[in-house]
Amino acid sequence: MALHLNLYHEIQKTKALKRRDPLKISLYGLGAIAIAFAVFYFVQLLHMHSILDELNTVKAQQDKILPLAKAAKKREDELAIKQKATDALVKRIEGRFYWAPILERVMQVVPREVQITRLSGDVPSDGLSHCVISLDGLSAGSDPRKVAEDLRTALAETFTPKFKNVTSTFKTLEDGAEMVMLDGKQVPTATFAISVQLSFGAESAATPAPRKRK
Amino acid sequence: MKLGKEEIQKIVLGVLLLFGLVYSYFDLLLGPLMAREELTEKSVRGLGPLMVSEKAQIETTKTMEEKAPAVAMTVLQVNAMIPEGSPVAWFPTRMADFFKKQGIDRVTSRLNSETTDKQFAGYRKLTWGIDFPKIEFVPFASAIAALENEEPLIEITSIQIDASREDVEMQHALVTVNNLVRQ
Repeated sequence: MALHLNLYHEIQKTKALKRRDPLKISLYGLGAIAIAFAVFYFVQLLHMHSILDELNTVKAQQDKILPLAKAAKKREDELAIKQKATDALVKRIEGRFYWAPILERVMQVVPREVQITRLSGDVPSDGLSHCVISLDGLSAGSDPRKVAEDLRTALAETFTPKFKNVTSTFKTLEDGAEMVMLDGKQVPTATFAISVQLSFGAESAATPAPRKRK
Repeated sequence: MKLGKEEIQKIVLGVLLLFGLVYSYFDLLLGPLMAREELTEKSVRGLGPLMVSEKAQIETTKTMEEKAPAVAMTVLQVNAMIPEGSPVAWFPTRMADFFKKQGIDRVTSRLNSETTDKQFAGYRKLTWGIDFPKIEFVPFASAIAALENEEPLIEITSIQIDASREDVEMQHALVTVNNLVRQ
């Protein structure tokens, strides 16, 4: 086997050393990293631009809508005031307390042994939707106190289905001094005062007016 | 392979350069960009609900605008029920005519008080006392029913019926009513 001598080994060693130069390798590495960073930055920059475009579009839309929304709010406030006033009118008309059903029911429950001398009713304007009715009168019969008591309970019963929280109480109930003629007989009397209290709501409705005969 | 002193210095320099590059990139370039991006995205996200609420506002007003003619109609109907002129001039006559139609001849109306209510802007509330010197209970109750049905702006607040001393068949009644009139 022939002896092979490399006379360029020094030159080759120098070249190899130059190739393995850490600074050069570091610079290459840094360059690669810098390129990667630059690409990533560029991508982010593009993304940023797209977001900015989106923001500008949304802002332009908002600038267009904002005056309309402000005008709409102002108009809504105006309409709300009108609506509220109208609702109050409708509520007043529809939420009135109707007296005709009261008079009708009182007429139905008062028996022939009783004479009502005073009937008064009041709807206090305290906004509590309640009514106070007072009936003063004279009851006659073999047991005039029982007649008055029957009237008191009948009043409570007649108003209960239509109204809420109905109470019927005697303010006074006293034996009368005079005797009256009833069914051809002299019978004793009693004077009474009954107070009826009731609450009403939306369910209270007007009694239709009677038809007129032609 | 053994590194020489010069090579070690070069490696250290290379590492320092790398640190410098990474720091500069993140702190001076990418960091501010990301912060700005985040801020912009936040602005876009913030404007979204705002625009939705503004659009909803416009829609609500549009719906209310559609209902406005009905509201105006109610007010017109109410106004049409109120005669022109001073209520003191027309109300007593109107009541007298109304009850005359119901078969009750003698009716006297007097103005008791006048109030304004914030609820009823543009209207004032008048309280009247209507006196019926001689009535029969049943026709009177029918007349009250008719009044309540035909005069929606009148609200009866109290009624008082007394038996007449002179005539047992007749009663005396006093009715207090509230009426809405234009201001």
